[in-house]
Amino acid sequence: MTESAAAGLHPQPAAGPEAVAPTKIQVNDLHFYYNGFHALKGISMAIPEKKVTAIIGPSGCGKSTLLRIFNRIYAIYPKLEARGEVILDGENVLAPGYSMNRLRSKVGMVFQKPVPFPMTIFENVAYGIRHHEKLSRADMEVRVEKALRDAALWDEVKDKLKQNALGLSGGQQQRLCIARAIALRPEVLLLDEPTSALDPIATGRIEQLVEELKSQFTIVIVTHNMQQAARCSDLTAFMYMGELIEFDGTEKIFTKPSKKQTEDYITGRFG
Amino acid sequence: MSSAPDALAIRDTGDQRNHRDARHDRWFRWLLMVCALLVLASLVGAAGATLWGGRHAFGTFGWHFLTSSAWDPGNDVYGALVPVYGTIATSIIALIIAVPVSFGIALYLSEVAPPWLRTPVASAIELLAGIPSIIYGMWGLFIFAPFFSAHIKPWLTSYLGDSPDDGKVSWVAAHVPFIGKLFASNYPFGASVLTAGIVLAIMIIPFISSVMREVFQTVPTRLKESAYALGSSTWEVVWDIVLPYTRSAVIGGVFLGLGRALGETMAVTFVLGNAMNLSASLLDPGASIASTIANQFSEAVGLQKATLMALAFLLFVVTFFVLLIARLMLRQLKKREGL
Repeated sequence: MTESAAAGLHPQPAAGPEAVAPTKIQVNDLHFYYNGFHALKGISMAIPEKKVTAIIGPSGCGKSTLLRIFNRIYAIYPKLEARGEVILDGENVLAPGYSMNRLRSKVGMVFQKPVPFPMTIFENVAYGIRHHEKLSRADMEVRVEKALRDAALWDEVKDKLKQNALGLSGGQQQRLCIARAIALRPEVLLLDEPTSALDPIATGRIEQLVEELKSQFTIVIVTHNMQQAARCSDLTAFMYMGELIEFDGTEKIFTKPSKKQTEDYITGRFG
Repeated sequence: MSSAPDALAIRDTGDQRNHRDARHDRWFRWLLMVCALLVLASLVGAAGATLWGGRHAFGTFGWHFLTSSAWDPGNDVYGALVPVYGTIATSIIALIIAVPVSFGIALYLSEVAPPWLRTPVASAIELLAGIPSIIYGMWGLFIFAPFFSAHIKPWLTSYLGDSPDDGKVSWVAAHVPFIGKLFASNYPFGASVLTAGIVLAIMIIPFISSVMREVFQTVPTRLKESAYALGSSTWEVVWDIVLPYTRSAVIGGVFLGLGRALGETMAVTFVLGNAMNLSASLLDPGASIASTIANQFSEAVGLQKATLMALAFLLFVVTFFVLLIARLMLRQLKKREGL
């Protein structure tokens, strides 16, 4: 699955994955501070378009923090500060003038625990679309159906769209959250440990879904589960203590990592 | 218990202990049940006692009691319409003012305010809730009512109401039906249904806002983040996510405030004017059930006393229906959400 990525990387890892696919998000010297705590220390990486990039690392390494900068969700809290550049399609999203509304329609996010809104299944998906587009009832129905089909949930919910989303199982709720995110037709999809609250079967379905979605979206997935990163990503970034230790093709990271710390982590010697 | 060394004796003590525990548990269950039944007994007792005490009034006036605005102690003719209307009108005015303000306070404190400001303001609100109602009443009578009469009332009358004195009709009154009647000024006092409603609003704001603030804080962070991640603004997150999530608790808080407003006695008695006349104008004095009872109980005998008892029973009934409506509203909302 990662032949081209891995092949392109082997000779010169430093050249980065952009050699293979066009870069979607370019991170330049990114620092992040929580109430003065230096949580990210100069991250630079290029996330390629329409690939799955996994971010792994022990708890507290800053992987979720990094993800939460990509759509600036951190900005709803006071006293958090990001310095550096996150360039999405040539524009720095951290620049003060960058429209939050535009950013969030381009970058969708799915969280650790499934969090359906307290409304019907249909409304859960339609909710986000309404913020960005005015659609007729019929067009909205088409969009919602498409999103639910893409999230592999349509067959299970098509007869109960008017029911409350809280009645779905955990795995279904998480796929609903994915449907809700992709209904906006974003270009980037951020997944923050999307299966950590799910059972193995539901996890398998989400991973399969990630595989299907990568033809349409640039996917960045944070996971504490190394097998998951190995199974469903094209590239893997290993972070430790707020630093990006290694970023390379997934096969290379899991078979022939170039850094000692990466090797120790993936072989289970720490973390 | 003797410390018997053989196994049999040990088993016996074990059995004894089991019996003792079972007995204690039984007593404990009884005790708890008695505590719970006490609530029911006092409710039924109070309602029954007022109904029994008011039986002569109900018997004498029949259904007419509810529709009559008469109040003539000289001829012993009474009707409940004025105090029932006053109770409901003041409470509704209080809610109309208090609910949006409390919503704003709670929202500011739970979503917008900087963290260092949240705790002090929240404690201040809880302190406000603890002020005895007579102090609100006194403030209403000595400070607010004169101010209301001098500044707010003339403004309301000239912009919204009919003024019978000079026959002028405001633009609003001329164009919107019934508004002119609501804000007509017939008496030169500060005490009025609207004054009482405003003082009541100030009294119930701390209750409603502290309940709302607490329930807003129960909304999971991830739910709000999910909405922000879809491009919602703070207002949209609050309106579409926080409110629906906390809807039943918020309505519960509102009805807690309404319950308090309906039965509030001292503050209302001070600023309502205690006039037994039925007027469409909110700027005219009126009477509420609680204020009528408080004003007249000491001198009432015979049929008048029975009437006051009957009024007390009506207050029970009004409160009961308010709670019933709240329950029905909640059930309706749940159905609409598809739960």
